[in-house]
Amino acid sequence: MRTFKIFVPVMVLCFVGTLLQAQTKPLSSADAEDVRKTISESAKTTNSIEAGFTQTKELSVIREKIISAGVFYFKKEKLLRWEYKEPFPYLIIFNSNKIYIKDDDKENHISLQSNKVFREVNNILIGAVQGTLLSDTKNFQCSIADLHNQYQATMVPLNARIKETLSEIVLYFNKSDYTIDKLVMREVSGDYTRIEFSGKKINQSIPDEIFVIP
Amino acid sequence: MKYLLSLNIVFILLLTACDPVKKSQLSPSGKGSFKIPEWSSPFLKGFEKALFHTSLDVAGKHLSGISIIKRTSDTSFHFTFANEIGMTYLDMEVFRKTYKADYIFEALNRKSFLKVLWSDFSMMLFSSSERKPVRMYLDNESEESVYFFLRQSMYTWINTKEMNLTRLVGWSNYFDAVMINFSEYDAGFPSEIKISNPRIRMVLTFSLLGH
Repeated sequence: MRTFKIFVPVMVLCFVGTLLQAQTKPLSSADAEDVRKTISESAKTTNSIEAGFTQTKELSVIREKIISAGVFYFKKEKLLRWEYKEPFPYLIIFNSNKIYIKDDDKENHISLQSNKVFREVNNILIGAVQGTLLSDTKNFQCSIADLHNQYQATMVPLNARIKETLSEIVLYFNKSDYTIDKLVMREVSGDYTRIEFSGKKINQSIPDEIFVIP
Repeated sequence: MKYLLSLNIVFILLLTACDPVKKSQLSPSGKGSFKIPEWSSPFLKGFEKALFHTSLDVAGKHLSGISIIKRTSDTSFHFTFANEIGMTYLDMEVFRKTYKADYIFEALNRKSFLKVLWSDFSMMLFSSSERKPVRMYLDNESEESVYFFLRQSMYTWINTKEMNLTRLVGWSNYFDAVMINFSEYDAGFPSEIKISNPRIRMVLTFSLLGH
């Protein structure tokens, strides 16, 4: 009976371990390079993306989640609009080297040149959407794994400034169109932010006006 | 003796000058013995956690985002403040007599700032009517009762009709005054909280999103 009590949990652990391994299969460097090229090629033909998003901030110490949601717009080359609708309206526009933030009645203009945190965030978001982050070997060490219907790219920062805040960025690319499905930013503190995109509309017309900074 | 007298006068003037409460706004009330209402910080009785839309203005810089205050034990709270994109600005544990910084965004990581912030948080989170006030006033504008607690160097505004705490004004030294306003009460909890600390030119506002 005692042997049985030990045997069952060990078998369950082995089964779960095998299952997890089967789900995430690391690619060889040659295969990873192929995936990287395919994502990069696909990104070249992606001129715009419009999608809904759900953002979950997981607070590790107190085991709490903060969930936000809204609409995301991207247009080549470097136009981004994050429109948060929940839990309160909040707007961020990245346009070239400027950032505009609207929070209630407060408007804030930030220059990317002067604000290194927003500069890094902008580089990460644009790089993630365009797939160019995977080729940024100067700032990240990248490994790619094969999931059931996604490629998982794990980016470990090499740049000291990014390392102060982020321990890892994980990007999930859809195998059908090689666009980004999900982005996970793990912070040094153990907290992480997961952004999941839904209802993606690729290369549909998006007016330039929505990226204009007032 | 003359020097001692001058020193005393300077000290009294200093005390009066640095008192963060305008005395003209208050009328003495309840002379002799007065009934002290039971009150406590809205974060004490039955509080578990709350999510806030938060903004922090300090030394000319503006930060905004979402914060969470969670009670982690009878004697501690956890405060996390992150921007809308999810990057953490501040992650700290607040105890009555100390704090532990788990993560502080580089630009805010100044010991003097964190000490003042903790002191203000400690007042907001842990204050209660456990000690006897020494004076009672009536606010001429709001007609609320105001109690002065000498040992805590703190004035307390109480809306005696609703039995809500509406304002705390205190100081940790004679040059460091803080004012905490609690307003828009709903089901016993304030929907708006504003901490103002002129010493470090800080205004911290919390708008309740859920609890």
